[in-house]
Amino acid sequence: MNEALVTLVRSLIAFFTLLIFARLLGKQQISQLTFFDYVLGITIGSIAASLSVDLSSRAWPHWIALLTWSGTVLVLQVMSHRSVTANKYLVGEPALIIINGQVMEEAMKRLRYTTADLLEQLRSKNVFDLSQVAFAVLETNGELSVMFKPEYQPLTPKDLNMPGQASALNTQLIFNGHIMEENLRQLNLDHTWLSRQLGLQGIDDVSQVYLASYNPATSSLYVDRFQDQI
Amino acid sequence: MQRVLYYIVVVAILAVFVVIMNAGDYMKKPRTQADNFPLHLQLVTRDIEKGDWELAKENRQRLEGAWKKIMPRIQFSVEKDEMTAIDFNLARLDAYIQARDRSNALAELKEAAEHWRDLNR
Repeated sequence: MNEALVTLVRSLIAFFTLLIFARLLGKQQISQLTFFDYVLGITIGSIAASLSVDLSSRAWPHWIALLTWSGTVLVLQVMSHRSVTANKYLVGEPALIIINGQVMEEAMKRLRYTTADLLEQLRSKNVFDLSQVAFAVLETNGELSVMFKPEYQPLTPKDLNMPGQASALNTQLIFNGHIMEENLRQLNLDHTWLSRQLGLQGIDDVSQVYLASYNPATSSLYVDRFQDQI
Repeated sequence: MQRVLYYIVVVAILAVFVVIMNAGDYMKKPRTQADNFPLHLQLVTRDIEKGDWELAKENRQRLEGAWKKIMPRIQFSVEKDEMTAIDFNLARLDAYIQARDRSNALAELKEAAEHWRDLNR
């Protein structure tokens, strides 16, 4: 048996299987994972590692394990998505930890959530005085969401009866010296307009630009050149 | 259309993986006389039972040749331990044939046959 060759083939199988299954399982970020999701991720990764290097057993049972774990997660995700009750039991519910500056000790006890954890998470949200908090909710992924009392909430343009500025997503027009034609077309812009805009910023050729993005709301073009002038 | 193509490619990749991981049973089937492992197992067994040790020695070498031909074909879908066990069976069988030890040689052949059956199981 050529162990290196077998390991190479099995690793490729494990890698691409994991990639496909991970894509199927969605786009949750690490910070959005619940504790169970986190453990699931470790387990699935561990099975993929065994599939890759454990030559003392066949690849097939490991692959079936990978399929079973990923398939089960997928089924539970679909169930949670379709049924509120299922979501409640499978993912859990957010819990109110502070109401009007008062700490809910019973809820904390039930969740085995310590005062130290609460104070630490409050500090990370720039809360150093509990009396400023109207509500604090412990989310299912362990994150703490905080709502300040009205008198401590940040000032917004609306409070001052000022009109807000329209916002829109930036669209990339140039990347790595190449014009992104499709994006340019979607914005109803053309090469002449782009050349003129670049000319205004002292750029005579697209190849000098690393990144250029356009904001339709403000009609502004952000340009970053290869040659940085710091 | 692009989405359908994407799914077809994904399913095709997974199907190729499943085939690679389960091709052992098909791959261990003999293509020629030279790589017919079960046949050579039977021949060596027959030679030993008849007490023809010279022919048993020749057929054991052919048996090892057959095994060396099959090994690269099945290595991606079987257990390394089962393959190693067959290697050891053949090595011990060689020693028992040289020592003309009938019972141990037959025991090794029986065990090799069992490992052969267990490949890809």
